[in-house]
Amino acid sequence: MDENIPAAEAPREHGESVPEAGRLGRWLDRGGIVFAAGIVLAMLILMQEVILRYVFNAPTIWAHETTVFLCGIAFIYGGLYCTARDRHIRVVLIYDALGPRLRRAFDVAISIVCAAASAMFAWAAWLMVERAAFRPDGSFRLERSGSAWDPVYPGLVKVFLMVVLAVMAIQFVVLAWNYAKGRR
Amino acid sequence: MEIFGSLKGLGVEGGTLLMFAMLLGLLVTGIPLAFVTLLVALVFALGWFGPMAVPLITSRVYTFVSSFVFVSVPMFVLMAAILDRSGIARDLFDAMRLMGGRLRGGVAIQTIVVAVILAAMSGIIGGEVVLLGLIALPQMLRLGYDKKLAIGVVCAGGSLGTMVPPSIVLIIYGLTANVSIGGLFTAAFIPGLMLASFYVIYVLVRAYLNPAVAPIVENAGVPRAEKIRLLKGLILPLLVVAGVLGSIYGGIASVTEASAVGVMGVLLSTVVRGEFTFALLKGAALQTLQTVGMIVWIGIGASALVGVFNLMGGINFVSSLITGISDNPTIILLFMMLILFVLGMFLDWVGIALLTMPIFVPIVKSLGYDPIWFGVLFCMNMQVSFLSPPFGPAAFYLKSVAPPDITLSDIFKSLLPFICLQILAVALLIAFPVLAGG
Amino acid sequence: QEHTFRFQSSDPSGNPNFELQKTWADSVSEKSDGRIQVELLPVESIVAHNETQDAIAAGILDGHITDTSYFAGKDPAFGLIANPVGAWSNPQEMFDFMENGGGKELMNELVEPYGLHFIGATTPGLEAFVSAVPLDGVDDLKGVKLRAPEGLVQQVFAAAGASPVNLPGSEVFTSLDKGVIEAADYSVFSTNHAQGLHDVAPHPVYPGFHSMPLVEISMNKQKWDELPDDLKQVLEESVREFAQRQVAALDENDQKAVEEAKASGNITIHDWSDEERAKFRTIATGEWEKVAQRSENAQKVYETLTGYLQEQGLMQ
Ligand code: NA
Ligand code: NA
Repeated sequence: MDENIPAAEAPREHGESVPEAGRLGRWLDRGGIVFAAGIVLAMLILMQEVILRYVFNAPTIWAHETTVFLCGIAFIYGGLYCTARDRHIRVVLIYDALGPRLRRAFDVAISIVCAAASAMFAWAAWLMVERAAFRPDGSFRLERSGSAWDPVYPGLVKVFLMVVLAVMAIQFVVLAWNYAKGRR
Repeated sequence: MEIFGSLKGLGVEGGTLLMFAMLLGLLVTGIPLAFVTLLVALVFALGWFGPMAVPLITSRVYTFVSSFVFVSVPMFVLMAAILDRSGIARDLFDAMRLMGGRLRGGVAIQTIVVAVILAAMSGIIGGEVVLLGLIALPQMLRLGYDKKLAIGVVCAGGSLGTMVPPSIVLIIYGLTANVSIGGLFTAAFIPGLMLASFYVIYVLVRAYLNPAVAPIVENAGVPRAEKIRLLKGLILPLLVVAGVLGSIYGGIASVTEASAVGVMGVLLSTVVRGEFTFALLKGAALQTLQTVGMIVWIGIGASALVGVFNLMGGINFVSSLITGISDNPTIILLFMMLILFVLGMFLDWVGIALLTMPIFVPIVKSLGYDPIWFGVLFCMNMQVSFLSPPFGPAAFYLKSVAPPDITLSDIFKSLLPFICLQILAVALLIAFPVLAGG
Repeated sequence: QEHTFRFQSSDPSGNPNFELQKTWADSVSEKSDGRIQVELLPVESIVAHNETQDAIAAGILDGHITDTSYFAGKDPAFGLIANPVGAWSNPQEMFDFMENGGGKELMNELVEPYGLHFIGATTPGLEAFVSAVPLDGVDDLKGVKLRAPEGLVQQVFAAAGASPVNLPGSEVFTSLDKGVIEAADYSVFSTNHAQGLHDVAPHPVYPGFHSMPLVEISMNKQKWDELPDDLKQVLEESVREFAQRQVAALDENDQKAVEEAKASGNITIHDWSDEERAKFRTIATGEWEKVAQRSENAQKVYETLTGYLQEQGLMQ
């Protein structure tokens, strides 16, 4: 038996935020645990719902909406988390053929473009939040789901999306700055 | 010169071409994939309409992340991450190797069988590719299998989730076309298994033509007690599979809930094996966050881009393109296949489905084709789109968890034969509609 | 033409409702001598079904044809007026409320602050109830696991003793098939039949007792205000005619599907007695009040609605 081939079994550790992401990146990296825990919680809620419904014939009115909410904010944060860790997939066909100087220029340019886009999206999300967090008369009210339970999840997710997009823009600016300085 | 709205002068034909050119151009520059489609969507929202149209993109992002159908993706990824950190997967594959006996390519074939079982447990793709990429790929490499063959089996097999019922692609199609979802599931059953069997045959042919790609593992020297110990490795995984399938087909859990049952089963297995620690769970959960962040953001942009394209008048443009090409229904049908193939090179399946289904369904009905058969055909086309470069989601999902020395171009090269098999399956469905109940 | 409007429907392109809505778009162009063109887009082509209100206000879309209850999260009043469970026994009662009972003015009071103008109402008609178990009255609902969509409907079923399960439309079929749920509030009989729900749940209740959605046709308020009066009239008239056309056409579809279902021999159609329907309606109206307390607008809807029903003798 080839018991002594440890090869691929060791759990791959996934490092941390890239150095160029700066202090913000390290914070975002640490914040990940909150949303990762949310995914585990979503799993437990679904299990609980199955048991309550099947065994006790007592389904809840909150389980599915809460699960979707927890997964939704994890999806949104996950995008930011990957940005801080530079784990978004790239097709590096041209990039790999470049020399180190051009590569750095590419890194800077890509980060600036993504920062501008994220900022634009954050602004657009603000327009959305204006309608999801305030009544037409301007008083504060988070948009609800309209279900019998009627949680404020839709309003929360929209606000959270706006915040994440804004932070993402800042993160890309930090990345661009550090790539330009050539910090490794 | 006014920038906002200036692209409108291109007309929808020119705009569409420019869109594809931009997608391709940005894709190869090394911009994170998640932002490529989002950027193109932004450029066209601003360039065609102006800043007032940009909230359409954030609205679609919001809708995308709050869809119930994606809940099973993090569940499958979490399952994979826990399995990866425990010894369950290794024991499973050791047992499978023993059972594979002297059959060439045995473990690859067993991986395909596992993929079909996983496909019957889930309705969506993403999670299974990650699961097989974390579990089966390292094991096949460990056993000396050809890298390309192993990669192809993992990506193609992991994509079966939407081909073998239950399938979210078929459900969305059924809702769009107003046809029986049960009918679609029944009709997709044989084509799904047919595609899986193509993969098996391909593995066998490769393995027997060139024994080096799939070495036979000698089990002769293994003592009986050791064999029994190895076979024990099958028990827990089988219990988990039985739990998930049983909860779906026994009416205990909905398809999405069943994915959580699977996570719970795997978690309990680690407890039984004495491997459970909070560090393990924490590591698995963090990896899940990263992987789903990547998977979901790849899809987000496509959905946004479709919204912008439709606002540009994309629906009318594409339908006039199709109906204008010929009076011959067969040619129209083949042209639709071509459109699906080309879109598959650039967009995520959600984007393709959102864009084309509303256009194709009325045309297919008016041509007199069986809408159920077409739904299965559509689903088969999505299989191709998962693998086809340059935008091949299954390849990206695998890349996110594969060892760093496996590059995207390695993956795409490995997928070519499997794409050919999928196209063969599409052709067979067209030539012999009876395969899909047509 | 002078005006081109882009409307998004809440129905998918292969759905009979969408086909009918296209005839509305055509009739607008015809009645206005081509001065108005309506481009009708299927659900989710620009934004999701529950995001159209925002998109219209922002000027991305010009209008929508949609179930008003999708906006119950903005204000519970939308949920109450869209589907006052138990209020209507047929579409004409609801149309009369809209035209002569203050419904139209009320709708505009609700949507105008959001930047929309309500042109008129239509409905797919009284929905049929999908069930895998025989249901012949309110008592049979006890403990039945059923899927109900957001809002009042769910609350009413809970009050009637059932166990409402939150499930998205996409999971209804598989969950009924495997027995995760036993019944579902889904759509009208013909649609339920076409999508194969009766194959897995062979005890439909028809005509339904639970739901008749208000489908609003609305557009951007500013663009409406800019229209000359004669074109405004054309739009209103076209919606009134369309509503009648839709109700008649879908009723015909339902009849056809009912015949087919009966002929199949595997499907048993249940029709509730008047007493049972009244019993359900009493439970439902008890729930209206609870919704009314959730917002000022909802209270306004409650008062207008009950006032009209009492005046017409439809409610004590
Ligand atoms: Na499946
Ligand atoms: Na592709």
